[in-house]
Amino acid sequence: MKDRIITAKHQKKELRILLYCFIVAFLLNIISVIIYKTPLVEIFTQIGYILAVSLVLYLFIFLIRLIIFLVKALLGHPK
Amino acid sequence: MATSNKNDQVDLGLRQFIKNLGYIAGGSVLLGSIPWLESCTPEKLKEIKNQKARIALIGTGSRGVYHICNLLKVPHAEIVALCDNYPPNLKTASELCPKAKTYTDYKKMLESKDIDGVIICTPLNWHAPMVLDSLAAGKHTFCEKAMALTMDECKAIYNAYQKTNKVLYFGMQRLFDEKYIKAIQMIHSGLIGDVVGMRCHWFRNSDWRRPVPSPELERKINWRLYKESSAGLMTELAAHQLEVSNWALRRIPDSVIGMGDIVFWKDGREVNDSISLTYHYKNNVKTTYETLISNKFNGMGEQVLGHKGTMELAKGEYYFEDVEPAPAILQLINQVESKAFSTVPIAGPSWVPELATQHKPHYVVEGKISINPGVDMTGVDKDGSDILISAFCQAAITGEKAKNIVEECYCSTMLCLMGNQAVSEQKKINFPENYKIPYLNF
Repeated sequence: MKDRIITAKHQKKELRILLYCFIVAFLLNIISVIIYKTPLVEIFTQIGYILAVSLVLYLFIFLIRLIIFLVKALLGHPK
Repeated sequence: MATSNKNDQVDLGLRQFIKNLGYIAGGSVLLGSIPWLESCTPEKLKEIKNQKARIALIGTGSRGVYHICNLLKVPHAEIVALCDNYPPNLKTASELCPKAKTYTDYKKMLESKDIDGVIICTPLNWHAPMVLDSLAAGKHTFCEKAMALTMDECKAIYNAYQKTNKVLYFGMQRLFDEKYIKAIQMIHSGLIGDVVGMRCHWFRNSDWRRPVPSPELERKINWRLYKESSAGLMTELAAHQLEVSNWALRRIPDSVIGMGDIVFWKDGREVNDSISLTYHYKNNVKTTYETLISNKFNGMGEQVLGHKGTMELAKGEYYFEDVEPAPAILQLINQVESKAFSTVPIAGPSWVPELATQHKPHYVVEGKISINPGVDMTGVDKDGSDILISAFCQAAITGEKAKNIVEECYCSTMLCLMGNQAVSEQKKINFPENYKIPYLNF
């Protein structure tokens, strides 16, 4: 088995994707508070759910990226 | 008389004066719901100092012994006499309080000058003659519920009470139970909105029989099962719950319809083992009452239904109609989930059934409370009975009458007897005009 090095660039990319997921989840919470007419304070009090949604989104994107990577690898495309 | 450990004593602070009657709504403390407590406050108890009420008991069966056990914990009470015409019961009671004089004839006992108060725990058909004789003998009197076997007897007791200066209590322990008092105060304050209906039930799964040592004692021991001595489930169980209904609504029903039968226990008994009734109040609110002794799944309960919420009196819980919505993000997730995974109906009902939603309970009293599951035939611990008996002993010393207890018991017993009449005559029974008393609204 060969060692793989996760570069700083790679780490930054993953963190950036996670941040985008968090922003999307945060926006979703704001939209749902407006749609369902619940107290505005939920924007901050439901942070636990926002983090959970961010994580789910991140995993979902990761899954898509993995599929794309595998398809590309099978088709013999260079990186 | 047996001495008791101070820790075992009945709470002389009237269970901390019913936990300080602290329910406040609209800025005013609601004391009007419980006028009977005015005569037995802890302050008034201090005034009698070390005096003891000399108490006699008539009827030393299971309920009598239950009261003896409570009386032994009341420092301002002394059991001086016991009366029963069934020797084994009298012997058991006498062992609990060996200093008490024993009698087999209650009239003989009532002649004694050494008795302040009399507690009557006999079969229902004996309530009226014993209460009337006891009051006539100048004794303060406590009688188990229900008031009497017939409407005429109830009226005779009520009339006798109007003329006497003696105290008369009935065993309506819910009037002294903290969770009921608080809950009723909350209802009267408008917490659950307008009362729009009431549902009461008492379910057990037992034959309601006691072991009989010889056949000739059947009617004496299993008196609850025979019409000559009992009005059945109505006076034994419903009396408590109908009293609570009236207390909650501050009204008395004007009519009743219903049905009752012997469904399961076809063992020679004369009283019904299943009864369903609907009581109608003049403001069109109804109380539905159901009792059955061959299925205990639903246990015992009294629900007061308001347009804003529901009070479960027996459990000391209440629920609001408007359930707080889930957080918006969860609602969004649920909607996405249901849209993504729900099945597409091809054919089916054109309406969605109105299933009961899950409501979160709120509690009438904080901390541990005593809940009566309704199974025990004798009584449960801390259901108000100990406070009630202590209050009676206090009244037997002070001579101060307790407001409304007789009236509450009179009305609930009348309603029980009307219920039985509706069942036997298979028709709607109106509250008879000549039996109405000047109390609450009919």
